Amino acid sequence: MATLAEASAAVPAGSASARRRYITGRIISYALLGLAVLLVLFPIYWMIITSLKLPREILRVPSLWPKVFTLDNFNKLLADGDFLLAIRNSAIVASTVTVISVIISSFAAYSMVRFRYRFRGVFGRLILFAYLTPGSLLFIPLSIVMAQLKLGNSLQGLILVYLTFSLPLSTWLLQGYFRGVPRELEEQGMIDGLTRFGALIRITLPLSAPGLAAVAIFTFTGAWNELLFALVLTTSESVRTAPLALNYLITSDVLPWGPLMAGAVISSVPLMILYFVAQRFMVAGMSEGAVKG
Amino acid sequence: MSLAADTPTRRPWLSGSARVKLFAYLLVAPVILLILGLVAYPFLFAIWVSFTDMVVGSVGNFVGFKNFEYLAKTATFWSAIWNTITIVLVSDVLKLVIGLGLALLVHQNLPGRGIFRSFLMLPWAMPAFVAFLTWRVLYQPIGGGINLILTQLGITDQIIDFLGQRSTAMGSVIVASVWRGFPFWFVSILAALQSVPKELYEAAIVDGANAWQRFWNVTIPSLMPVIIVTTLLSSIWTANGFEHVWLLTAGGPSDATMVFPVLAYYGMQTQRIGEAAAVSVYMLPVLAILVIFATSLMMRREE
Repeated sequence: MATLAEASAAVPAGSASARRRYITGRIISYALLGLAVLLVLFPIYWMIITSLKLPREILRVPSLWPKVFTLDNFNKLLADGDFLLAIRNSAIVASTVTVISVIISSFAAYSMVRFRYRFRGVFGRLILFAYLTPGSLLFIPLSIVMAQLKLGNSLQGLILVYLTFSLPLSTWLLQGYFRGVPRELEEQGMIDGLTRFGALIRITLPLSAPGLAAVAIFTFTGAWNELLFALVLTTSESVRTAPLALNYLITSDVLPWGPLMAGAVISSVPLMILYFVAQRFMVAGMSEGAVKG
Repeated sequence: MSLAADTPTRRPWLSGSARVKLFAYLLVAPVILLILGLVAYPFLFAIWVSFTDMVVGSVGNFVGFKNFEYLAKTATFWSAIWNTITIVLVSDVLKLVIGLGLALLVHQNLPGRGIFRSFLMLPWAMPAFVAFLTWRVLYQPIGGGINLILTQLGITDQIIDFLGQRSTAMGSVIVASVWRGFPFWFVSILAALQSVPKELYEAAIVDGANAWQRFWNVTIPSLMPVIIVTTLLSSIWTANGFEHVWLLTAGGPSDATMVFPVLAYYGMQTQRIGEAAAVSVYMLPVLAILVIFATSLMMRREE
């Protein structure tokens, strides 16, 4: 708040020096923001144009603008169907995790917000600890556990493992949203003949729709992006997810920058769409849940 | 709401309050059971494994602190310690400065601020693996955008192998992770700025505080809780991040960017699970302090 524009607002209006300071403040602000946006966009720009350049152009004639636009890289990447399979696997895993996680997390969050019982505090702490327990600590034991359950190297195994990060986050975020739903509305519904479960489904959940949307997006994104568990748990190509497929592209001897960036573009598209559709929910979700201010 | 107030009478086989309690437990049970089975149990199991000589396909025998002693004798382990500390400290400071600075700029009453906000959040919307693979390409000596920009602007006429030499690898990893990580700080701080009561500033102006004094005495104290929680969360995530190092350098060149999670992954690949688990467990004391601190702050704010 105490920023450049405000500094000038405090000076008596109309004086020439105040005006000059105001305009200078504006110019500096826009210049800095413009520079920041440029630095943010350049890597994204580079990803896109590299995916559209001919391989020989990428390596021999570095330039900011492709001389020839080509879809060769996309064709090469998609030709054998492996990458499409990986995208399909990612979509299956991420959407299943999202559905399971949103449903059972909303039950848990509702229970912890609306009722008082003996272990509520313990559960709350457990969920937060689980949220903060990093995957780097869990990937070794989980890979052993999944092997014992005969779920190693399978999409089902990945789905189960991804619940380790999605459930705590979803439950934590949804608690914040459910607190905002007035209990009087539920009580009203129950007087009108709804059961308590009915009140949850018919009143609380619809009223928390933006929160549910945010949680669904965070969960989907988390599962779509995950690399370490996938790397450790899957061995055969048929169950590779998108990050894994691209990871194996760079561990080959020839570094295929063109197809790699084509894969990067394709993997970003679903998330970018989500981002532009639901940016409002995501910002609200972040500020109200993960780091409540 | 007290449970006693909630007394439907349709099912007489349980008292109203017991019925509600049962319902509450049933609702929370799936999440709690899954977390116990998939987080709590593996967590304890990892600690046990780190004290065994387990390899793939064997149960492993208890060997005391042998894995920990062995690791402490390797140079790679010490590289991982220093590199993890460096990455966390340097990138946290950079993300704080950049996130705070941009949040203050966007928080002004500027025309077009919504557009700036959307653009500045883009790195966070990109999948992490996409972001780091893109940076890997950007840093390339051949075909990389950064060398192109540097030579075209005349800053250098040398092609720099950013990820391939010890002197630049760590800095390059940090720059890429700051690029991907600053939007989280930016958005958190921006939201906190928007919730600072206007009256505080008005009172400060009445008291004759100038812009700089208002910033230090009103803005910064109001942001402190959010900054602390964000720092803790970001430190936990950065210290345990795998993608940024793995996709950019895989820990190289010659351990210059080796960090704990990557070291644990390599341990896992050599099939010596006991040692690999010991690598993760080494992080535990520091991690536990951060987590307990973060948990109590977040719980307190929820109440």
